[in-house]
Amino acid sequence: VYDIAEETMDGKKLRIVHYLNQFFGQQGGEDKADMGLKVKEGPVGPGIALQDILAEKGEVAATIICGDNHYAENIEAVTEEALTLIKPHEADLLVAGPAFAAGRYGMACGALCAGVQETLGMPAVTGMFEENPGVDLYRRKTYICKTGNNSLKMKDDLAHMAGFALKLLSKGINAKLVSKETIGRPSEDGYFPRGILKNEYTQKTAAERSVDMLLAKLQGRPFESEVPVPGFEDIPVPESVKNMGSCRIAVISDGGLVPRGNPDKMKGRGNQLLAVYDMESFLPENRSREGYEIAHTGYLPFEVMEDINRLVPIDALRELEKDNVIEKVYPRFFSTSGNVTSSKRCGEIGEEIADELKREGVQAAILTST
Amino acid sequence: MMKLQIESVDIRDVKAAQKTRVSDHIVYIDLQELEELILEDGRIRSVSLDLVSPGDRARIVNLDDVIQPRCKIDRENEDFPGWLSKMKVTGNGRTRSLNGIAVLVSNPCTIREYAALLDMSGPGAIGPYTTMNNICVSPMPAANVDDRDFENAVKAAGLKTAVYLAGAAEGHPVDDIETFDLHIPESGKDTGLPRVAYYYQMYTPQRDFYNGADPVFYGRELSGILPTVVHPNEILDGGIVNMHKIYGLDTYSIQNHPIVKALYKRHGKDLVFAGAVIGIANMDPVLRQRKAMVAASLISNVLGADGVILTKILGGLVQVDLGLVAEACEQAGVKTVYFVSFNDSNGALEEQITFFPDCLDAAINVGQSLEWMRLEMEPEKIIGGTPETRILHPAGIAQTAGDRIIEVEQSVFAGGFCHIGGLPIMAVDY
Repeated sequence: VYDIAEETMDGKKLRIVHYLNQFFGQQGGEDKADMGLKVKEGPVGPGIALQDILAEKGEVAATIICGDNHYAENIEAVTEEALTLIKPHEADLLVAGPAFAAGRYGMACGALCAGVQETLGMPAVTGMFEENPGVDLYRRKTYICKTGNNSLKMKDDLAHMAGFALKLLSKGINAKLVSKETIGRPSEDGYFPRGILKNEYTQKTAAERSVDMLLAKLQGRPFESEVPVPGFEDIPVPESVKNMGSCRIAVISDGGLVPRGNPDKMKGRGNQLLAVYDMESFLPENRSREGYEIAHTGYLPFEVMEDINRLVPIDALRELEKDNVIEKVYPRFFSTSGNVTSSKRCGEIGEEIADELKREGVQAAILTST
Repeated sequence: MMKLQIESVDIRDVKAAQKTRVSDHIVYIDLQELEELILEDGRIRSVSLDLVSPGDRARIVNLDDVIQPRCKIDRENEDFPGWLSKMKVTGNGRTRSLNGIAVLVSNPCTIREYAALLDMSGPGAIGPYTTMNNICVSPMPAANVDDRDFENAVKAAGLKTAVYLAGAAEGHPVDDIETFDLHIPESGKDTGLPRVAYYYQMYTPQRDFYNGADPVFYGRELSGILPTVVHPNEILDGGIVNMHKIYGLDTYSIQNHPIVKALYKRHGKDLVFAGAVIGIANMDPVLRQRKAMVAASLISNVLGADGVILTKILGGLVQVDLGLVAEACEQAGVKTVYFVSFNDSNGALEEQITFFPDCLDAAINVGQSLEWMRLEMEPEKIIGGTPETRILHPAGIAQTAGDRIIEVEQSVFAGGFCHIGGLPIMAVDY
């Protein structure tokens, strides 16, 4: 828990919008779980405690309340509607919950915080218990403070969230971070890791650390690697295709080939998206190179743009299909951009593709990389 | 015998003056004389020379390199051989070096995507060069000089300026003398200390421009070269310069190579410095394996190393190159410490590793090269370009040097990232 008195906001009073579910928003219990969005001026329920904690530092200007079922069943639509209700308040911050261990409530708090940040560019903080499913779904998109699993220590949890929010918004400098941002490590500031990396200052340079580590290794003293070893599984090489004549072949590429204009917004670096395009319409026999672009910043695309076959050998495959050397080219092309995508996401994309190919009885795939 | 003595003079300010000299730790520069010197190169039509100091609301753009003022003191040695003088192995004799001042060399006409910048104040003032008094050199090309030739001219202009400034400190009291004395064939015999080598993967063709490599080794390119043994002093003393763009490394860092210096510091006490092997990243899998094999053999069988530290520049596939060399070293019985850089803010540490042989149990986290920063600073002075000069945005959004707010990644700053471990940083899960 922070000492709020230490946080500085240039003397400015924070305007806060608070989100609550129907229960904490004092609308009723499970019987009101289907209620839609409702706005109340000023603080409600836990918001009154939040206001007490903030005292002169902030003002809970409005409270948005929604039924748990209604939100959890219409996440996108309710978030969008809630954003239109929040915007006119010109707030500095959204506080949602805390949701403790309540799953539907956690999803709503996470979705709304993420939406407010993405769409309104407004900071947002929520709080949850570690087993709340909202934690895994939203910790990468918003700050989720760690709370107890029920409201017994509501006041402490709110004080933690308020202090955290003030720290986030303060003009101070965290001398530990190269970026000078105010935020501390997840373990120090009591929030769930967001799955991002920041450069922190260390006592010694990386070069000095490397000599220390090597000497420890050479002298048989204990040392700790600075990078966790991921422990990849060994993937056995599959058996070769026995009968090409009855083989359906899919094409997968991580070279970032997308339609001109990149309608799916595939990112050239750190991409998370798998796009699937219909072979016939995306790669017709008579195609113009004007119809494509490369969403991949890790290689120079000139050669591919000259002839798409250099990335996707579609003309050769169609010829083999015509000559009955293979049975068929699988009609869907899997396109992704593999350039510093996290290995975890790569694994998920691979599984998604494999599921479809297995389901559709495709025997082989050509995977081109760049 | 290789013995290098670097005699340093601490500089606390830099000023324009009638006569170039260094007195009482202040560098005075006759800018006209320096301009004439740079214009001796027929590839350069004109040059802007600007002085910047810490706290200035100055933004230097299109940065190609940062160079420490250095010159050889004894006549039998050469400054930046292959660039400014004839071929002569570097790393011997006396070198004068100026601390607290850097030459920032910009190519205002560059069309390469990854040009670096430096903010002398504001939130983007990160890294060592923002605390120094610097001279900015921004040449413009003569007619009909092609892009690549001009890039070489820009680099040469920067190196020339570095030699010119250090030369001006002749007779000034020296603040520090560092000695790098290492006779590899006989060093460490019978000491019982472990022999430690350094593997320096100092080039990658990933960003080769017009399919040509940058001339980083004695003024010529390295592409296609097999790993080769160099004396560590050659690295410190101008045998190696940075590529024509700053991708988390610059010549200043190479002139003060942090691993070479750290190994020298422990030489004779905890270890014997067994020498350095330089290599490049390969884009061909067979060449990559050959490189790993040859590098490991040089480190193990020629240098006789018991341990090796391995670094690279840039990221992605080159991490595999480095890992293969490390793996081959471990297989040859040489213990390794291997540098890993992270190239995206997305994903926790362990999710970003895509290659990691089990035998590599000692990795150094050299930081996250692409951490986003949002910078608010209205520059009063833009050097090396114009307010309209494009600044690379991590998501491809158009932004220019004169914008009040720009978003950049840390490694776009000269001195904001250091692939060879010169910064006291590491990437941490947030």
